[in-house]
Amino acid sequence: MRKQLRFTGVGGQGVLLAGEILARAYVNAGKYGVQVGTYTSQVRGGPTKVDIILDDEPILYPYAVDGEIDFMLSVADKSYQLFKDGVKEGGIIVYEPNLVYPSDDDKARWKMFPIEVITIAKEKVGNVITQSVVALAIATRMNNLDKELVYETMIKTVPQKAVEVNKKAFELGYQEAEEVLAKYSS
Amino acid sequence: MPREVVSTGNQLAAKAAIDAGCKFFGGYPITPSSEIAHEMSRLLPKVGGVFIQMEDEIGGISVALGASMSGVKSMTNTSGPGISLKAEQIGLAFMAEIPLVITNVMRGGPSTGLPTRPAQQDILQAQAPTHGDYQSITLCPGSLDECYTETVRAFNLAERFMTPVFVLLDETLGHMVGKAVLPDIEEVEANIVNRRVYEGDPTTYEPYNVPADEPAILNPFFKGYRYHITGLHHGPTGFPTEDAKLSQELIDRLFNKILAHKDEIESYEEFMLDDADIMIIAYGSVSLAAKEAIKQLREEGIKVGLFRPITLWPSPEEKIDELCKKFDKILVAEMNKGQYFKEIQRASGKKANEFETLFKANGRPISPAEFKAKIKEMV
Repeated sequence: MRKQLRFTGVGGQGVLLAGEILARAYVNAGKYGVQVGTYTSQVRGGPTKVDIILDDEPILYPYAVDGEIDFMLSVADKSYQLFKDGVKEGGIIVYEPNLVYPSDDDKARWKMFPIEVITIAKEKVGNVITQSVVALAIATRMNNLDKELVYETMIKTVPQKAVEVNKKAFELGYQEAEEVLAKYSS
Repeated sequence: MPREVVSTGNQLAAKAAIDAGCKFFGGYPITPSSEIAHEMSRLLPKVGGVFIQMEDEIGGISVALGASMSGVKSMTNTSGPGISLKAEQIGLAFMAEIPLVITNVMRGGPSTGLPTRPAQQDILQAQAPTHGDYQSITLCPGSLDECYTETVRAFNLAERFMTPVFVLLDETLGHMVGKAVLPDIEEVEANIVNRRVYEGDPTTYEPYNVPADEPAILNPFFKGYRYHITGLHHGPTGFPTEDAKLSQELIDRLFNKILAHKDEIESYEEFMLDDADIMIIAYGSVSLAAKEAIKQLREEGIKVGLFRPITLWPSPEEKIDELCKKFDKILVAEMNKGQYFKEIQRASGKKANEFETLFKANGRPISPAEFKAKIKEMV
């Protein structure tokens, strides 16, 4: 089963790392994963997207197909508005409610979940840089990916000195996704 | 054992350089190629090599040429704008016959263009990056695996033919992360080519006195074998000459040393062509979209195949001619306005209106959906 994921933000937020970890996790499991980013020549602040494709079969073209994307996570309104139409009808969108402002139409079209990704990283984990791993954990839960596999790959991928803080980021992100799913399904 | 890695194309090109025996890198960072330099700065010291980030692109290629003259396998890396800046020194490498691998991770142009976006706009630049008459060798990987294998091949060809060799990646291949399966390191090492060395009497050493279709034999500097290096037309010892016969022979040999050995350089892939009714011609990352489209179209019963040149220059002209005669319906797709299309027309003798084309030059990749729509118009 092919899964197409997209993380969007603005340049400098570090969304590339989460995608790389997911791709690595799938390859480690003997499957296929590809990640490719699209960014602008603005050093910071330009709309950025990272496409991740996960599959049991080899993946040739690395970009997600607009209209077929299963899951999108967005932490900036500029990129949310630019890339949201790539998500398939009924697909999942997780957005940072302090920075992304979906319309009522959007909420009817997709399964929308507000999660304060940046606040969690900044205040609960204590380091804003970990937002990438918070996002990774949320994507893992929302897409029913193998938690252990992604977690172990994350530990192997992040810098040694940042393992502990990222473990915390992953757990908090995963937990938050669980809670928001429980809340919205009830 | 083949090695399985998860990596970007840029990192794989750097890894390949190290495995091929590269011990020197001189360059200057430029998007979207900088990760090659970054990775070389990390890897080279571990193998006793030297990495220098110079003051600009020209300095970058200049030190790399100097290192190569002292017998060290050497590399520089850039994107299209950097090739423009390096053009004069590239000419010196062609003329003096200095082996060098030049990776160009293509982005949109002309000028500073679209720095972070993929393009294939440097195809003609790679064929003729500087003034004068010479033959370029240009390789174009079409997958992560090939970012590695073609860079290794570039080093071997540079040493074999004593010439600069271009490896054209593009932003998509350079930056995408995925699985690559690399050949066994022993296999790579067993096939490494080193430049020839003259071991006779130093007083009779004539580095450019070689057969009409063979490269010069340039011994490493500082080993007691004296010769002259120049961008001027030169005779057997390398000293400048304006002799009509020697000048003609020199340029003829710069051509012949490549063209007489095309079989050692040529490389291409034929993908699902055997039973195809329609042929796509594409290369580099565009071929990934083409293959995806071909698989999907075949599920719908539309038989399409792909011809993918891997060595762009010298072009596989006989193969292009043969295939273009065999197929009536041909789609040429490039992330430019048709740079290689010109070569396809020349090689096949067919006119432009006998092909369908899909050209894009806005920094956006050509998608499988665009291929499918175009092919369906052709059925």
